[in-house]
Parts: sequence; structure tokens; C-alpha cells
Amino acid sequence: MKRKLHFNLFDVFVYSFCGLFAFICFYPLWYVFIGSISPYDRFSSAQIAFLPVGIPSLRYYVAIVKGPSFQLAFLVSVIKTVLGVAGMILITSCLAYGVSKSHVKGMKFINIYVIICMYFGGTIIQYYLLFSTLKLINTIWVMIIPGYVNVWTFIIMRNYFANNVPDSLEDAAMIDGANEVVLFARIIMPISKAMIAAMVLFSAVGHWNDWVSYTYYCNDIRLQPFVKILQRLLITPSLAVSGGTNEMMDEAVNIPPIALQYTTIMCAMLPIIAVYPFLQKHFAKGILIGAVKE
Amino acid sequence: MNRAIKHKQQSNSLLGHIKKHWFLYLMVLPGVIWLFVFHYLPAGGIIIAFKDYKFMKGVMASPWIGLENFRALFRDKDFYRVVRNTVLINLYTLLVGTPFTIFLALMLNEIRSKSTKSVIQTAVYLPHFISWVVFAGLIGVLLSPSTGIVNKLIVLFGGDSIYFMSKPEYFRSIVVGSSVLKNTGWGTIIYLAAISGVNPELYECAVLDGANRFHLMWHITLPRIKPTIAVLLILNVSSMFASNFEQIFNLYNTFVYSTGDVISTFLYRRGLLEGKFEMATTLGLVSGLISIITILITNRIIKKMGVIGII
Repeated sequence: MKRKLHFNLFDVFVYSFCGLFAFICFYPLWYVFIGSISPYDRFSSAQIAFLPVGIPSLRYYVAIVKGPSFQLAFLVSVIKTVLGVAGMILITSCLAYGVSKSHVKGMKFINIYVIICMYFGGTIIQYYLLFSTLKLINTIWVMIIPGYVNVWTFIIMRNYFANNVPDSLEDAAMIDGANEVVLFARIIMPISKAMIAAMVLFSAVGHWNDWVSYTYYCNDIRLQPFVKILQRLLITPSLAVSGGTNEMMDEAVNIPPIALQYTTIMCAMLPIIAVYPFLQKHFAKGILIGAVKE
Repeated sequence: MNRAIKHKQQSNSLLGHIKKHWFLYLMVLPGVIWLFVFHYLPAGGIIIAFKDYKFMKGVMASPWIGLENFRALFRDKDFYRVVRNTVLINLYTLLVGTPFTIFLALMLNEIRSKSTKSVIQTAVYLPHFISWVVFAGLIGVLLSPSTGIVNKLIVLFGGDSIYFMSKPEYFRSIVVGSSVLKNTGWGTIIYLAAISGVNPELYECAVLDGANRFHLMWHITLPRIKPTIAVLLILNVSSMFASNFEQIFNLYNTFVYSTGDVISTFLYRRGLLEGKFEMATTLGLVSGLISIITILITNRIIKKMGVIGII
């Protein structure tokens, strides 16, 4: 809609408000970033920092990357995220595709069967008992398997398969002799790439940031995901400093604790920041695709 | 028998469908089994709430004691404390967060330069992807009594520095404030989508009648997105008894239990750490039931208001 293009007081207010809020959202992370690359003694004496203080260096990152418990935790997080996302996309998309064919007998029932899960469930106590019966406690699988069916993702996928895949395309493929396997793998999935990409990214971020499943169901220190180390450093520093149950702190002893916190935060955020540009492109579109019927 | 008729009969029965669409059934099988094991089985385990659970005997063999666990729960002062904290925190977050999110969405909509809007949106969506671990750590740094910016400002104006995070009276505000900061940006997505669906002709007519941009916002945009606001309100009110473990666990400490301990953190300590399984399960069951009832009631109210409900 064309409006007269002069810049008035209203615009000043709009831009200042949005700009201020955007600054509040962005600055803390920026502050942590420059704190991780500036030498700590200079940084802590500076009152408010907008730019790196002193000569920026990556020595804190190097110290962390050398630490064996950091390496192990990073590896655990990567494995957990890869296996968790792959499994979720596979199982949930198959489930959603089947249910999207609502004319097939039983699929409507399965639809309700899945949706009901949103409204009730067991508490962590029940999950703990189930996992210990299945001998999953204190394994990496307990952090992976419970994510395999995500009802929110299911709904979006189901809607997408039902509404945005043209019937004519499917019919044409069937006529050309494709069976349902080929139809799904070679035709449906490539068409849904944008939506699947959005779901992959959300799931990956969720898995990467997940420290709760470890906290509830594991206590083996070798299994901790990277974000759990971060949680120990930031939230319960007494544990970290005393070094009692945490052998990891011996290699970090040479870095000032605050610098260690900042650098670990940046390491934990790195994968997210790396995929963030792609997220930007996909998420609004990806979510809304599932909701809008074309 | 006529082969055409027989074929038709066969293909409309369940068996016929399974034969024809066997691949589809195979596809949904893993998901269905997974949901049964990892959702319906634990859900069934709720019956612990009606039993005197003995670990050695397992769930099925433990003796039934009916509503005794519920009576014990309702007699426990802690129950009322955590429910009150949960509801109050959710209520405050709703009262502060919803208007703020709508306002931010309206403001974002008014930005005329596409590139500026895109940059600002990138910045405001960011906190949503930051883990609560990091976010709570940042709040702790901000509010630190010795090195935090807030206290530095207070000291500058002549006051004494306050250890905010350990004071029960400040804790709920800290929780609400950090929630708003983290979730507002992301929350604008849905409102922006709704706003973009408003018919541009309405704006043009109003401008011809002499409306300024504030009038447009107040008299056209807002009323037109009322259904969206209502739906999101239902969704938020229905989670009035849900508690965000990630956020509270990373922000709280023993000093603020009186105002900050919520259902999920209490359940974690009592249930998992102290091993009081029946009490924790009963608590979970009760709060789950209250949630469902709340959804149904709010849905009723919204329907009466003339807006479409979600159920």
C-alpha cells in the first residue's frame, strides 16, 4: 500500500522502539562475544564495552578446545543431535504421510491417537520408571529416543502432505509405474524440502540445547552434553570450582573463571549461530506452510 | 460370483485396504509403536497415584489405596505454595507479555524499510534460540550485586546494591521480565502473519476519510486480528498450570523457594531427587487434570464471545 513517504514523528517513535528492543536482544550476546576474545584483565576493568578491549585473541577458545571433558561433551552433543534429528524426521514424516492419506481406513483413528498425546501424558516419574525398565537410564539413547515423535512437527507435516502436494502429481507418478515406496522417497520428500528443512533446524536447535534429559535421567559425567557443562559453569559454579566431582576443571584452571564462562557460552552457541541465517529463511515460511492451505 | 462385485467388496474392507496400501500401514507402524511405548505407557503409569507404590513390587503389584495420596497432597502446604507460584508467574507473564508482543508486532509492521525490518527481526528472534542456561546466566551477570550493570547504576544514583536473585520479592518479576525478553520477538511471528492478512482496501478507505497511522492501527488492524489474539490467549491460558522447568531451575536458588518454586521444580526435587514417587505422580496428575479443565472452560468462553475456538 502506498503511503506518503515523509518521515514523521510516528516513524521516529516506531524506529526508536524497535531499535531499542532489538539492541536489548542482541547486545548481551555481543557482550559475551567480545568478552571471550578480549584479554580478561583489560575487559573486566572497562566499564561498558561495545568493542573488543585490548588485542583480541582466541587463546581462551584454544584452551577449551584442548580440554578432554569439553571435547567429549561436544562429541556427545553432536551425536545426540544428529541421531535425534535423523530419527525424528524419519519416523514423524512417515507417520504424518500415512495419516495424511485420510481416505485409507484407520488413518483417521491414528490421527486422533497422535493428537490426544498433546493433552495428557505421564510425569517425569513415569518416564524414569519406564526408562529404567528398558535399561535406558545412563545411556546416550535416553537423550535421543524420547524425541522421535514430535506432535507439533507431525501436525505441520501432515497438513503439508495433505494440502500442498498436488494429487495430480501423485496420480501421474502412479500411472508411470511408481509404487508407493518410490513415490514417497523420490517425489514427495524432495517437494517438501523447504518444510522438512525448517523442521530439521528446529529439532536440531532443540536437541543441541537440551540439558534436561541428561539432568533427569543420567548421572554419568562422561555422557553430559556440552550445554550441561555450560550449565554447571554458569548456574552452579560452586561445583565447578571445588573440582570435587568435576575433573574437567583442572584444564580450565589457567583461565579466569568469567572468561571461561563467556567462552563456553560462545562455544555452546556456535552451532546455533552458524545455522541461524538458514533458520531465518525457513522458519516463518516453514511453520506457516503447514498452516496455510494453498 | 461376478468378479467385479467381489473385487469391490474386498477393496472396501479393512483387509482390502491393508492389502492395497500395505506400504502406508508399514510407514505409520514405527510411529504408532513408538507413541505407545513412550507416551501411552508412561501415561498409564499415572495409576501410581492411586497406589501405595513399593519399588520392589513394581507398579502392577503395589496395593491400591484409592484417593489417599490425593488427600495427603491437599493437606501438604507445599502443594498450595507451588500451585500459587505457578499460576501467579503464568498470569503475570500473560498480562505483561501479551500486550507487549502485540505492540511489538504492530510496531514492526509499521517499519517501512524492508531491510531495516529484516535486520530488526533477526535481532529480536535471537533470544528464542538461546538456551535458558545461557539466558539465565546472562540475567545473573546483569543483576550481580558486585559487577552487574543494574547495581552499578543504582550505586551511581546513591543507593545500595541489591542482591536481586536471592530476594523472594523480586524473583517473580525477574522471571516475568526474562520471559518477556526471551519470547516476545518470536511471538510476533504469528501476529505479523495475521496482520499481513488484513485487507489493504480497508486502510485505503480509512486514509481517504482522514485517518492517521495511529487511527489505522487502533481501529482497523487491532480489531481485525482479534481472532488471532483470542486463539493465542486460549493457548496461553490453557497452559496456566504448566511450569517452565528450564527457566526456573536455572534462575532459582533455595532463598526464593517461597515465591519461585513451581510445580515442575518441586516435582523434580520431591519426586526424582527424594524418591517420593506417589506424591509427585499425584501432583502431576492433578495439575494435568486442571490444565485440561482450564482448556475446556476457556474454549467455552471464547466460543461465547463469537470467536472460533480451537477444539
